[in-house]
Amino acid sequence: MTDAMNRRRFLKILGVTGGGAAALSGCGIGPEPTQRLLPYLVAPDDQIPGVATWYATTCRECAAGCGLRARVREGRAVKLEGNPDSPVNRGRLCARGQAGLQGLYNPDRITGPRLRGANGQLAETTWDKAIQLLAQKVADAKGKGIVFVTGHETGAFGDLVDEWMRAVGGRRIAFESFALEALREGNRLAFGTAAVPHYDFAAAKYIVSFGADFMETWLSPVEFQNAFTRAHAFAAGADSSMAKYVYVGPRLSLTGLSADEWIAAAPGTEGLLALAMAQVIVSRRLARSPADATRLGPSLAAHAPDKVAAQIGVDAKTIERLAREFAASGGGLAVAGGVAAQAANGAEIVAAVNILNYVAGAVGRTVQFGPDLTQDAAGSYRQLAALRGDMAGGKVAVLLVHGANPAHADAAFAQALGKVLFKVSFSSDPDETARAADLVLPDLHPLEQWNDARPRAGVYALQQPVMAPVFPGTMHAGDAILRAAGRTGTFKDYLQTAWRDVHRRHGGGKSFEEFWTAALAHGGVYTEIATRSVRLGPGAIAAMGEAAPPFAEGDATAVVFPHPALHDGRGANKPWLQELPDPVSKITWHGWAEVHPETAGKWGVVNGDVVLLKSEAGEVRAPVWITPTVRPRVVAVPTGQGHVAYGRYAAGRSFNAFDLLPGEPNRAGGRTFVVAVKVTKTAEHVFLATTEGNAREHGHGIVNVLPLAQAQRLRPGKHVFEAEETPAYARGAEEGWAEAQREMAALGGYAGTHPRWAMAIDLSRCTGCSACVTACYAENNLATVGEELVRRHREMSWIRIERYFTGGKDGESLHAVTTPMLCQQCGNAPCEPVCPVFAAYHTPDGLNGQIYNRCIGTRYCSNNCPYKVRYFNWFNYAEPGGEFEAWPEPLQLLLNPDVTVREKGVMEKCTFCVQRIRGKQNEARLADRRLDDAELQFLPACAQGCPSEAIVFGDLNDPRSRVRQLSDNPRGYHVLAGLNTRPAIAYLAKVTAPSGGAA
Amino acid sequence: MAQPSGRVTYDFVTRTIARTLGNPGKGYFLLLGAAVTLLAIGIICLLYLLRYGLGLAGYSHPVYWAVFITCFVFWVGIAHSGTLISAILFLFRSGWRTAIYRTAEAMTVFAVMTAALFPLIHIGRQWYFYWTLPYPNERGLWPNFKSPLIWDEFAIGTYFTVSTVFLILGLVPDIAAVRDVASGWRKKLYQLTALGWRGTNEEWRHFTRGYLYLAALATPLVLSVHSVVSWDFAMAIVPGWHATIFAPYFVAGAIYSGCAMVISLLVPIRKLFHLEELITAHHFENLAKLCLLTGSIVGYAYLCEYFVAWFGGNAHERAAFWYRAFGPFWWATWTMIICNAFLPQLLWFKKIRTNITGLFVISIFVNVGMWFERFVIIVVSLAGEPFERWSNATYNPTWADWGIMAGSFGWFFMWFLLFVKNFPAVSITEVKEVLPPPTKGRPAEAHAR
Repeated sequence: MTDAMNRRRFLKILGVTGGGAAALSGCGIGPEPTQRLLPYLVAPDDQIPGVATWYATTCRECAAGCGLRARVREGRAVKLEGNPDSPVNRGRLCARGQAGLQGLYNPDRITGPRLRGANGQLAETTWDKAIQLLAQKVADAKGKGIVFVTGHETGAFGDLVDEWMRAVGGRRIAFESFALEALREGNRLAFGTAAVPHYDFAAAKYIVSFGADFMETWLSPVEFQNAFTRAHAFAAGADSSMAKYVYVGPRLSLTGLSADEWIAAAPGTEGLLALAMAQVIVSRRLARSPADATRLGPSLAAHAPDKVAAQIGVDAKTIERLAREFAASGGGLAVAGGVAAQAANGAEIVAAVNILNYVAGAVGRTVQFGPDLTQDAAGSYRQLAALRGDMAGGKVAVLLVHGANPAHADAAFAQALGKVLFKVSFSSDPDETARAADLVLPDLHPLEQWNDARPRAGVYALQQPVMAPVFPGTMHAGDAILRAAGRTGTFKDYLQTAWRDVHRRHGGGKSFEEFWTAALAHGGVYTEIATRSVRLGPGAIAAMGEAAPPFAEGDATAVVFPHPALHDGRGANKPWLQELPDPVSKITWHGWAEVHPETAGKWGVVNGDVVLLKSEAGEVRAPVWITPTVRPRVVAVPTGQGHVAYGRYAAGRSFNAFDLLPGEPNRAGGRTFVVAVKVTKTAEHVFLATTEGNAREHGHGIVNVLPLAQAQRLRPGKHVFEAEETPAYARGAEEGWAEAQREMAALGGYAGTHPRWAMAIDLSRCTGCSACVTACYAENNLATVGEELVRRHREMSWIRIERYFTGGKDGESLHAVTTPMLCQQCGNAPCEPVCPVFAAYHTPDGLNGQIYNRCIGTRYCSNNCPYKVRYFNWFNYAEPGGEFEAWPEPLQLLLNPDVTVREKGVMEKCTFCVQRIRGKQNEARLADRRLDDAELQFLPACAQGCPSEAIVFGDLNDPRSRVRQLSDNPRGYHVLAGLNTRPAIAYLAKVTAPSGGAA
Repeated sequence: MAQPSGRVTYDFVTRTIARTLGNPGKGYFLLLGAAVTLLAIGIICLLYLLRYGLGLAGYSHPVYWAVFITCFVFWVGIAHSGTLISAILFLFRSGWRTAIYRTAEAMTVFAVMTAALFPLIHIGRQWYFYWTLPYPNERGLWPNFKSPLIWDEFAIGTYFTVSTVFLILGLVPDIAAVRDVASGWRKKLYQLTALGWRGTNEEWRHFTRGYLYLAALATPLVLSVHSVVSWDFAMAIVPGWHATIFAPYFVAGAIYSGCAMVISLLVPIRKLFHLEELITAHHFENLAKLCLLTGSIVGYAYLCEYFVAWFGGNAHERAAFWYRAFGPFWWATWTMIICNAFLPQLLWFKKIRTNITGLFVISIFVNVGMWFERFVIIVVSLAGEPFERWSNATYNPTWADWGIMAGSFGWFFMWFLLFVKNFPAVSITEVKEVLPPPTKGRPAEAHAR
C-alpha cells in the first residue's frame, strides 16, 4: 500500500520532474519555461475567452478629452484606440494616449494608502484610518487654510472638490505646467473675452502658426492635426489646392516640421511680425476687414514691416509677401501659442495675432467663438505662485493635491511644501509631490474609474472603468472625498446625478437609463454649439505697444518647450514614451539642448558635450544636440526629464528644465518659458541615445518631394517616379522573373486567388508625430530596451519615423520630410531566400511572414533587407527580474494575447498586424461574407492610430480598394524599387506649397 | 632544387622528427598553458553569451554580423593553404612541399574546427543549430537549400571530412615509424593510430594510390570552399558584398592568409624543434612567393572593387565604398590595404624573401590585415547602410567579442600544440622521398625502418 502510486505521490513526482525541467530552462539556456496558465473557474457572463470586449471611455493623458475605445481581453485592457464617435479625435489617438496603458499597469504605482509614521517614512495604513484622519485634519484646519490643488478638471470631479472645499472653508486651484494663460489673456485683451475659441484648421486655406505646437502639446493636438491634414494634404482631383502652412518661431518643433516655410523670428518678436502683416493688410486693403478694423490703421503704422523687420530678424519683403499670401488665400488662420505665447510678452503676442486674424476676416470663419475650449479650468501660474506664498507664510494648514505634480515643475513650491502641516496626495504614482506628502491616498487610474470631462462647450465625454482595478488597494479619489466629507453614495452616483442635468438638456425624450447607456456606449454626448461673434476690444490697441519683446537677444536665449511625449514630465515613467524618439531630435530617454551649428562652432561644442545653462533662476546641465532647426544663439531645451522620484523609468534622468524658469508669474499670469542664459561648456560628454542615422537621404529615393505646381499638373496613369522603379536595362530580367514567379504561384497553398495586402502612405499627410510607433508597441508587444541599448541601436520599433532634412545650405530654406519606415512586405523579398530554416517565408496573401518559433537567429535576413526593418532580440526582454526586463510586474498584463512574446535570439518584424488581418478574415468567414474595403482601410494598429490618416491599408488585388487607388496615384513611388523587391507599400510623394519668393 | 643539406640523411630525418615527440620542456607547457587559458576565457565569455544573449557582444542595428563571422571567415581562410600545399602541390610534384605540408595540413584541420564553431556561436538560439541540418523529422521540415548558409554547411562539412582523412592517411606511415621508437602510453597510441602499418610493398602501393586519389579529390575543394563562403556575401544584395569577383577574390585571399599563417607557425616550430635543416630558407622563400602571388591578386581585387563602384555608377555602391575608405572605419580599411596590398610588395626582393625574421613579421601583418579584410567587408558594409540612410549606425565590439575571439585562438593553438608534440609535424616519409637514397658508403640503417 505504501509503495502504491497514489494521487499524492503522483503529484509529488510530477512536481519534482517538472521542477527539474524548470531549473534547466531557468538557467536561461533552452526554451523559456511556460508560466502559469489559469483558466476561469467560473466564467463571467460578459467575457468570452479569446474574444475582445470594447469599452468607450475618455483619455485623460492631457486636457483635450479625446474619446477612447479600450480593447479588453479576459478582463484586462490590452489596447487603447480612438473612439470614432468622438468629435474631438474622430477615432484617432496620439502616442501619449496610446501609452495610457502604461500608466494603468505601471509597476511603480502606489498600491494602497500610505501614512507618514513617526520615523518619517511612509508606511502602509488602512483606508478607514486614512479617511478618518483626512476628515479629522480637514475639520481641524477649518479657518487655517485648506487648499486643494487639482489638474485640469472640467467635469464632475472638479465640481465635487469645489463643493467639498466650499463646505470646509477651503479653496481649489488648478495647476497645469503649460496652462496657456497668455492665450486667455491675449483673447481678453483683443476681444474682451478670455474664452479660447475653436480653431477650424480643416477650413483654413493658409495657416500661420506663431509658435503654436498644435500637433503635439497645444490644446487639442489629435483634433487639430487631423483637421490640419485635411486642409494641408494634397489631393489631386476636383480641388487640387492645398493650404500653405507657415511656422513662425525660434525653433522648429514637431508641428513646425510640416511647414512649407519656416520663419525663424527672434524669440518674443512673433507679435511684431503679426502686427506688421496686419499693417500690410489694412494699409493695402488686401482683405475685406470688419469695419472697425480700419481704426487700427494709425496704431498699426508704427509696426510697418520696414520698421520692425530688423528686430524680428526677417526682411521686410518676406513680411509683406506673407501678408499678401495670407490675405489673398481667402481663408487664413493664424494661431499663437507654445514657445511664442510663453515669452514674457505672450499675451500681447496672442493679442497681435488676434488682430491679424481680425483684419484678415478670419474671426468668425476659421476662428470660431462659441464652441469654446474649457481652458479656463487649467488655472494659472499666478494662482500657484500665490499659493506658494501662502504656504511659505504658514497660511496653509492642509494641502491636498490630485492630478498635478507642482513639486516637480516648481522648485520653490517643493521647498514651500515643508511649511505645510499636513499634505495629502491622491496620486497613484510616487511623484515628487506624493513623496513629500504625509498621507497618500492613491487614486484609481482614469481607465479604472468613473468620471467625465467637458473638453469644449457641447462635448460631454464620459469616463467609465474598462476593467477592475489593477491594485485592489487603490480607491477612487471621488469616493474617498465623499467619505471624508461624510456624504453617502459613491462617486458614480454623484456623476449620474450631475448627468441628470445633461439628460434634461440633451435627453431627446429618452429615459435617463436609456440616455446613460447610450452615452456610455458612445463615450459621451456630443452636441453642436452655435458660434458667436466678437468685436475687437479697446485693449487691442494698448496691447500693440507692448508687443515688442522686453529683452534683447543676448548671449543666448533659452527656450523651454514641453516635450511632445513626456510633456511636463508626466509621461516620464512610461517606457513607451521614454523610448519614443522625439520627433525632431530623435533622442530617447534623456533631455538635450538644441544648438544651431553656427552657435555650436562659436562655443566649440560637439554633439553630446554637456553645457551648463545658467539663468537668473537656476541652472541645468544639458547635452548639446546640434541642429539646423533652431535659430542661432537660441538654446531650446525640453521639459519632461529630471525627476527625482516618480518611478524607475523617470527618476534621476538628465535635467529638469523647469529649474531655469523664474518663479514669478508674468503679466499674463503665466509662466515665462523664454529666458536669457549664460552658457558654459563643461568637461562632461554624453553619448546621445539617438535613433538618427543619417539626417540626409542624399537622393536615394527614400523620400520624394514635389512642388505644388508640378503636383497639380499630374494626370492619372502617369507616374512621376516611374524611371526609378524599373530601369530599362532590367526589364528583360524582370519579365523572366515574373514568369518564374507565376509558375511558383501555382503551387500548393499558393494556387488560386488571394488578396495582396498592401499599404499606401501619403507623405503629404505624415507629420512625423509618431503615434503609429507607440500604437505598434502596444499592439505587437514590442519590448522597450532602455537608454543603454538605444545607444547601441537596439531599439525594437518595427515602425520608425525617419526625419530627413532638405535644403538649409547655401541659402536654401530648410525643409523636413518625415516618413514611416516599416516592413515593405516585398513581393520579391530579399529576406526570404537567405533564411536557412524557412523562418522567413512568403504567405499566399503576400506577407513576409516570420515564424518566431522556427527562427534560430542567423540574422542573415536583416543583413539582406535593404530597408533595415528587422529587429533582433539580443536579450530576453521578457525575463522576470532580468537586467533588460521590458514588462516588470504588472506591466506584463498589457501584453496582447494575440501576439507572441519573442524570446532571446529571435528575429522579429512588422507583419501588417497579421493577427488583426486573420481576426477580420475569421469574422467574415463566420458571417459568411466577403471582407469589405471599408473595414480594412485602417486595420493595422499604425493606420488605426494615425491622427492624420496618412496610412491606408487594403487589398491591392481589389481594383476598387482605396489602397489600390492610392497606389496608382501618379505621386506614388516605391522605396528602393530599383532593387526589384516589389514592395507592397506605395509612398505618395510629399507636396510642398511654394516657399520664399517663388510662385 | 629543394635538396636539404648533405648532413640530412634518412636516419637524420627520423631522429630529428622523432625527437620532436620527446618529453616536452617548460617552454612547451608555457605555450600550451597560454592556449588553454585563452580557451578558458573564451568558454567563460561564451557561457555568459548563452545565458544572457548575444546582446553582450557589440552588435548594433544594422550591424547584425560582426566579429564572430569575421573570425569564421578568417579561420576558414587560414584553412586553405593546407590543402593547397598538400594536394595541389602534390599533384604538381613540387618537392619543396614535403617539409611543410604536414604542419599546413594540421593547421587546416584545426582551423576548420575553429571556424565551424563560429556559426554556432553567432546564431541567436544556439541550442537549435541542428535545425539547419537536413535530418528526417516528424514535422517534415527541411532546411532551405536556397540559403547560402546551407551551402556553407555542406562546403565546410565536406572540406573538414576530406582534409581530416587526408591528414590521417598521410600520417599512417609516419606514425608507424615513430611507433617503433616510442614507449609507454605513446606506443599504445601509435599502435592504434598506425592501423597496423608494416611498410610492405603492397601497403606502400595502396598508400600512394590512395593518397593520389584523395589529393585529386581535395583539389577542387580548395577552390570551392571559399567560393561558397564568399557567396554568403556575394548572394546578398548589400553593396560591398554583392560582387561577381567574390569567389576568386576570397579564394586568393584565403590562400594568401593560409600561407601567411603557415609561415607564422613554421618559424617558431622550426626554432623550437630545431628543424632548421629540414625546413630551410628555400621553403620559406617558396611560401613567400605564393604570398606575393596571392597577395597581388587580393590587391588587384581591392582595386577592382573600387573601380567597379565608381564605374558602375550605382549611387548605393558608390556611397558604400566612399564610406569604406573615408567613413568612421577608415582606419580598418587602410590597415587592411596597407597590410595586404602594400606590405607584401616587399617580397619582390629576394633578400626579404629569404630573411626568416622579416618574413615572420610580414606574415603577422598579413594575418592582421586579412582579419581586417573580413571585418571591413562584413562590418563596414553593414554599418554604412548605403540603401536606407537612416539606419546608418556605428559599431563597437565588446569584451564578449574579443573574449570569444581570443578563445578561438586558444582552441586552435591548443589542438595545434597537442598535435605537434604527439604526431610528426614534418612528414618523415615524404622528406625522405626527396633525399638521395642511401647507397654504399653512406649509413643506411634508418632506411630499413
